[in-house]
Order: sequence, then C-alpha cells, then structure tokens
Amino acid sequence: MGIFGRKEKTPLGIYIHVPFCRSKCQYCDFYSLTDKDDRLMEDYMDAVCEHIKEAGQRSPGYLVDTVYFGGGTPSFFGADGMAAILTAIRRSFEVSGSAEITFEANPDSVSTRLLRRLRSEGFNRVSLGIQCDDDRILKQIGRPHNYEQAVQAVKNIRSAGFKNLSVDLIYGLPGQTLEGWQKTLRNVMELRPEHISCYGLKVEEGTPLYECRDYSNLPDDDMQADMYLSTVEILRSKGFRQYEISNFARRGYESRHNMKYWTGGEYLGFGPDASSDFAGKRFKIIRDLHGYIDGIQNKGAVLDEVEEISDRERAGEYLMMRLRTVQGIDREEYEKRFLLPFKPLEEALEQYRQRGHALGAEGRWRLTAEGFLLSNTILTELLLIQENSEPLAKRR
Amino acid sequence: MTELSKIRNFSIIAHIDHGKSTLADRLLEECNAIEQRHRAEQILDSMELEQERGITIKATAATLTYTADDGETYALNLIDTPGHVDFNYEVSRSLAACEGAVLVVDASQGVEAQTLANTYLAIDAGLEVLPVINKIDLPSARPAEVKAEVEDIIGIPAEDSPEISAKNGINIHSVLEMIVKDVPAPTGDRNGPLQALIFDSQYDSYRGVIVYTRIKQGTVRPGMDIKMMATGAMYKVVEVGTMHPTGLKSCDALGAGEVGYITASIKTVQDTQVGDTITSVENPAAEPLPGYREVQPMVFSGVYPADGAKYQDLREALEKLKLNDASMSYELESSIALGFGFRCGFLGLLHMEIIQERLEREYNLDLITTAPNVVYRITKNNGEVMMVYTPLDYPDPMEIQLAEEPFAKVNLIAPQEYVGNIMDLAQQRRGEFKDMVYLDANRVELHYEMPLNEIIYDFFDALKSRTRGYGSLDYELIGYRPSRLVKLDILLNGDVVDALSFILFADNAYPRARKICEKLKDNIPRAQFEIPIQAAIGGKIIARETIKALRKDVLAKCYGGDITRKKKLLEKQKEGKKRMRTFGTVSVPSEAFMAVLKLDED
Repeated sequence: MGIFGRKEKTPLGIYIHVPFCRSKCQYCDFYSLTDKDDRLMEDYMDAVCEHIKEAGQRSPGYLVDTVYFGGGTPSFFGADGMAAILTAIRRSFEVSGSAEITFEANPDSVSTRLLRRLRSEGFNRVSLGIQCDDDRILKQIGRPHNYEQAVQAVKNIRSAGFKNLSVDLIYGLPGQTLEGWQKTLRNVMELRPEHISCYGLKVEEGTPLYECRDYSNLPDDDMQADMYLSTVEILRSKGFRQYEISNFARRGYESRHNMKYWTGGEYLGFGPDASSDFAGKRFKIIRDLHGYIDGIQNKGAVLDEVEEISDRERAGEYLMMRLRTVQGIDREEYEKRFLLPFKPLEEALEQYRQRGHALGAEGRWRLTAEGFLLSNTILTELLLIQENSEPLAKRR
Repeated sequence: MTELSKIRNFSIIAHIDHGKSTLADRLLEECNAIEQRHRAEQILDSMELEQERGITIKATAATLTYTADDGETYALNLIDTPGHVDFNYEVSRSLAACEGAVLVVDASQGVEAQTLANTYLAIDAGLEVLPVINKIDLPSARPAEVKAEVEDIIGIPAEDSPEISAKNGINIHSVLEMIVKDVPAPTGDRNGPLQALIFDSQYDSYRGVIVYTRIKQGTVRPGMDIKMMATGAMYKVVEVGTMHPTGLKSCDALGAGEVGYITASIKTVQDTQVGDTITSVENPAAEPLPGYREVQPMVFSGVYPADGAKYQDLREALEKLKLNDASMSYELESSIALGFGFRCGFLGLLHMEIIQERLEREYNLDLITTAPNVVYRITKNNGEVMMVYTPLDYPDPMEIQLAEEPFAKVNLIAPQEYVGNIMDLAQQRRGEFKDMVYLDANRVELHYEMPLNEIIYDFFDALKSRTRGYGSLDYELIGYRPSRLVKLDILLNGDVVDALSFILFADNAYPRARKICEKLKDNIPRAQFEIPIQAAIGGKIIARETIKALRKDVLAKCYGGDITRKKKLLEKQKEGKKRMRTFGTVSVPSEAFMAVLKLDED
C-alpha cells in the first residue's frame, strides 16, 4: 500500500518476440523466419497489437517499467512496425515515464533514419548483436555483417541519441582462440558500450552448426572456461561489473528487463515463442507465426504450455535464477518466502566456498566466476538438497 | 491310467534356432492339442523372456493324444528340455524321464556341439535317439550329407530319418509315427513302492508348488502321504493330473510310466529339487532313483538396488523369484560402497542375465550388478579351507597358503577353417589343449581344460565372433586346481570402492587393470575436482588414469524468460544424479559397473 492508502501498481515487463531475420545464423535456434514478406509482417504486427489490447484489458493494476523487443531481428522488421506495437502497449497498459525500452538490432539493419525514429518513439536502449570482431568467423557463422559495419552502427546509435548501448558477443566460436577472443573484447571496449553480454556458444541440436560440429574446429569446454574467466577479468579491469553469469555493465546500466527473469518479476510476452510469467502462471506462445496470427484473428488458442507454479517450484526457481546473479540468495528472504530451511543449502555452499566456487557470509550466498561456470552442477546438488528438506512450518 | 503299451515318453533335442519349439508346436497341432488361435505363440516357451530370446529356460511338458496309423490311441508325453549350456543338469533330469529323444538336426548346418552334448546325455541315459532332419525347405539344405554326418559323428542310424520342415508343416505325421514305432513303451510295476522323478516344478500362488514328475514305479493318488527322498520334506497329495497345452487336467491317479503333475500344498520349490525322488511314506522305496545332484550355482555376483532405499523391494523380488527357481541362491551382502544388497548365485551368465532382466522388468527395479565371479577355494596358512564367493571375503595375501580355482572340460565344435582362431582364443583364456577330433571332412571338435572363470566372461560371444557364428561350446566342471590368484582393488579419489574389486589370475592383472581404469574414465562423469582412478593389488598401484576436473557446466544464455527450458534441463541432470551412487565424493553411474563387466568388447 502506498502512503495514501492507494494500492501501489505491480511492476510488469513486456517482451515482444519479432520473428524475422535477414538470414539465419548457423548457431541460432531462436524462432525466426527469413522471408521478407510485407504482408506477413503486417499481419504479424496487427496480431501482436490486437493481442496486447486483449491482454491490457485483462490486466489492470500493473505498471509497465520495461519493454523489450527481441528476436529475430527487430531492426530488420523495421521502425514503423515497432513504433506501432509500442503505441499499442502504451494504449493498453500504463507505461512508466522512466521505463527501460530496449530493442535488439543487427549492424546491417540500423540506418540513422530507423534509429532516430525509434529514439523519438521513446526507445532508450539498444542491444546490438556484434558477436565477434573477426570477419572470417562472422562469415563462417552466417552473420549478415562484418565488424566495420558494427563500428559504424555504434556511431549511428550514438548520434541518434541513445545513451544506453549493450552489445552481444559470443565466445567459443569456430576457430576462435583465447587470444582472438581477448582481442575482440579489447576492440569492443573501444566502442564504449554501457553494457556487454558475453555468451558461451552452445551448439544446439537442429542448427546447421550442430550438423557440422565435428569439423568446425570448436573450442572445447576447457577452452570456453578459460575464455570465460578471462572475460570476467578483462571486463572488470575496464570498469564493467559482472551482475549475471553472462552479463556485465557499468554501474547503473544493468538490464532492468532481464533482471526480471532472474529475480522472479512478472512479465508478459507477445509474438510466437514468447514466454510469460504472469499472475502465478507461466505460459508460452506457440512457435508458429501463422498459427499465432490465425489464433489471434479468430480468437483461438495461441498458448503452448501453461503451468501453474507451486510454491515448492518457486523455491527451486529462486535458487536456479538467483544464483545466476551476483545478488545471489538470502537466508531470511528464502526462509520467509518458502518456509524451507536454508541451513542444508548453506552447508553445501560452504563446501563450494572452500573450493572457490561460492562466496558467502551472514546468510547471503553467491557464486564466483568459477562457480558460475559450474552452476548447473551446483544447482543440481542444491535442488536435490531442497527436494529432500522438510518445510519449517505448514503454510496456513 | 493309460496302459503302459500306449504311452510314449520323449523329448526333443535341438541346437538353439534349429526349430525345437516350432516342431513341438507342429506336433501339438497335428494332435489337435492346440486350437488355432493359440498358434501365434509357441506354446512351450511360456515366459516372455523365453520367447524373446528364442530359448527354453525351464523345462515343461505336455501330453498329446495321438491316434496312430495302426488305429490305436496313444498318450505321447513330450518333455521339453532347456537349450543352454548353463542348464545341463536340468537337461539330464528331463531326459531321465523319457525313453526316447527326437534329435532335430538342421539340414544345412548339421550337428552342433550343444546338440552333441545333449545327444550323448540321452544315449548315456539309455534313450532311443531318433534323428529328424529339419529345414529341408531351405535352399542350402543338404539332407543326405547331414544324415551321413549324424551316422558318422553320433553313430546312430539316420538313413530312414524323416526329412521335415517344422516351419512349413512338412512331414510332421511321419515324426509322430516314428515316435509310436521306435520309442520304447515305458515299463514299471504300478503296484510297487512309489518312485516318482521330479524333472521340474513351478510355484503357483493358488496351489503351491506344482511338481512335474515321471512315475517310474508304483502309483500316486490324492490323499497319499509322500516324501521327497533327498530333502526329506513330507506332504499329503492334494491333486494329481496331466499337463496339456491348454492347462492342467486332474485325474484319479498317476501310475508307473506316466508323466504328470502332483500338488500337495508345497510352499517352496526348495523342497522339490529337480532330480529328487518322491516316494510314499507308508510304503517307501528302498532306493531313490539315480542321478540326483544338488544344484550348485557356479557364478556369483553382487546385486544391489541402484537406489539404496529400494533394498526391501529387491529382497521381496528375490524371494518371489526364488519360489520358482531352485537353482538361484541369494544371501545378504553388505558393501561399504553400495550398502545393502545380495550376493546371488547363478548357473551361468545367461542365467544371471535372465534373473537380472526379470528383476528389472517384472519388479521394476534399477540394479547395480558387480562383476561376476566363480567360487575360489582358499587354504589359509593355519590350514583352514574357505570357499570364497565374493571378493569382499578374499583373505589377505599374506594369510594364503594355497589358492585354487574351478576348472572345466570344454568341448568346442567349429568348421575346420576356424581352428586357428579357436586355438588363439582358448590360449588367451588359459585353456590347456587336450585333443582334437575331425568329426567329418570339414568339422572339428576340440577339447580343452580351462578355468571356469575364463569361460564365464563372454567366452561364448568371443567364440561366436571368431567363428562367424559357427562355433559351439559346452563345458562341464572337473574340479579345483591350484592357481596364482590376486585380488584387484579399484580406488576412486584414493578410496577403495569395494564393489569394484575382483579376483583374477595374476598374469592377467596388469592388462585388465589398465582396461578397467580406461573404462571407468570413460564412464564416470567429470566432477568439480580431479578424480584419480587407480587399480591396486595389495597396496601396490598397478594402473592409473585421471578424470580431469569439470570446469564448465553452465547454461550461458537464459534469455527471453524461457525458464521452463532451463528447469527441464536441470530436472534431467537431477534425475541422472539420483541414478548415481556416491563413493566418498565421487558419483558413479550404474552403467560404469556394467562397463567394467564388458572389457573384451573392443
């Protein structure tokens, strides 16, 4: 309750999945289509706007404080479509004046015109997919741009007035060496972004890269581990604070939208394959653009999975997601919220602390960079411990 | 009761795949014993596993009513025999219940070792052996040659043997006529003291044990007090009757010469050992029938629940299986590494695999099975002689005066071109060559004496692969011989995992230790720390591998809010971890134990 007795609004993130790309990258398993079909894009835009309108009517009492256009390649989809969707959001939801509004962009589709237009519509954060500074590798993994275009894109983004720039990089790419990766990091530092995401390449089944993984000269897990630890080191020395496994930011520039995923905030997703966690339920939209458009037009079903998440599951998710962040987990919060004992977890974490994988004091624990690298192993153990622990008390 | 002159008791001897079950089915059909709708299944192989493996594990029997060309109606009792080298004793007891045996020989493959072994068992038991040439429909059939082979090798006439195709139902009638004509009718005094041979028994939850028997002398009736001569168990007969493919049919009495069943509210098959003689309490026979032997398991292995909490479930499952399988044994065993489990005894590896599969399938258990071993005989310095059933009990080398291991006489038959391969294999397995006999121009029988231990480890598979499937084998225990044995221990992260220890011939220790370490390295997942794997004899390390520390196990991108996907991934990882046993700080998946068993695959 607010100080005047008025119920305070619940913060909400909105995610728009834009399933269009100029071309498909060799490693990508996100849902996107590569045919530029104006009619289809228009139908998509109409469906998303209609969907937002419906959802907005059912969701009073929320204040949207982050909006994120991901993909796919939103910049390839174009400024008009994005502007229309953002307008639909503003019409149907209350959007905070200080909301973080991000769109993902590729260096080959950020004209000055597009950037100016989006800036004027209220977009205030750009996430630019650079991935690597080595043109040979960029070509091999099927990126539709070279590094020079990325440098130019950053200039355009700045000149259009964006003060918050994030760049995406990937390590563990085919033929990449530790030295090559370190050079990429240093070069990208010169572009002076506020935020950097560095993802270890995961070769997903069903991608072209998966098919030729055995002769793609991929760095092995140990090499990826070296690259990762060196990333943490280099970025720290340049003033970037690690705040999540793969995310680094100058102070105050952490992605507020992504933090919702890691801290159990509510978010609504629109567009095919978008996920939501809203009003105690988690659901996902079908991974099929035509089915999505059709479902919205004809008031049919567009959801693929809907799960009600029990408190016990939330407790598991708390460990899973919070330990991705440097914020980590907290005894008081954990015991109060889930009525489960923290002590058994703490005993296991103490072992990890001795191996240098965790840091903790006074009931607050987080993983170190070495711990982040092994987070699945560590989480598996913690989740098993949690599964076997008796509740502190019955919830009334 | 059927007149003695109208009874024929026979069994069918055949190599695996040579069509025994198919022929049995055709005989039953010809006698109208099976309705057409039953045809899909082979009637005698009743266990699911038997059908899958195409072999008969337990003996069964059926009475066929056949009206012969002479116009008389006969009771033909078909007693089926198990078809694997592990079950030789059971075969001998089934044969002892018969006067004749139909020997099925494949028209293209000819006589094989297993058939030969069983044929000799039949001849030794005084049975009339009647060859039948099967699969004459195959293009590669060479019936005339195979008949000559039968005469040459086995020394029984085969010139007039029926040429049949069990699969296509060709000439089945002539087989039945041959049985009536050539199998001698049984003899026996139906008024004499009861002597009934137990050739099989089966536990039924309603009637208790159903004893399958051949009455050799006297008559058995409901209400009679009976005694098992070897085990001494006494019961009152509830029911007697005959077996039919459609089920059991009770009758007033079973007399000498007949084959049938007895029920007597018997609680356990332990009391009805195969080969034992049933007699009457009131008018007992002076002597039991010859040939009884207590069945001895030859191969032992530790059987543990993969999930330690399932120990009680495993115990109950073993109790139930044991009700029906007198040849299996189990005893509580406790391993530091695996906790509570059982040391189980089996007739051989096939028997072991069958029991394991039944435990996993019928009782839904996940098992960890330790490396199988034979029973060693150790004489200690203080003169004490001990039988060692498990590496856990192997004494300190300093205390051992004499170590002995069981040896077997092994007969191998294969086409002559594979003799070199077989000799190499037998030599690797410490076989001592005895002699070699040419069975015909092309085929050779080799005789070896070999440690049983070398036979139980996939020897049969190795033989098959070195003879392109043409080699066949049987073996028989011949006693203990002094040997140089050592106990090999495996250490994970410095701690001995007792469940991985095993006993072996000293000269094999180094290569085997190296292989085991490599296998474990491939099968144990990397942990957050380096794991040394060591093999040691006594305190001396003889092989070592290292599993490098795991450095990366992370989902780098958890993005777009798709938490469900990450949850599923961790869920899977969690389930995997649950299936692992933790030794000290090292988690070992149950597959690692299996991998250690299969060292000779590559």
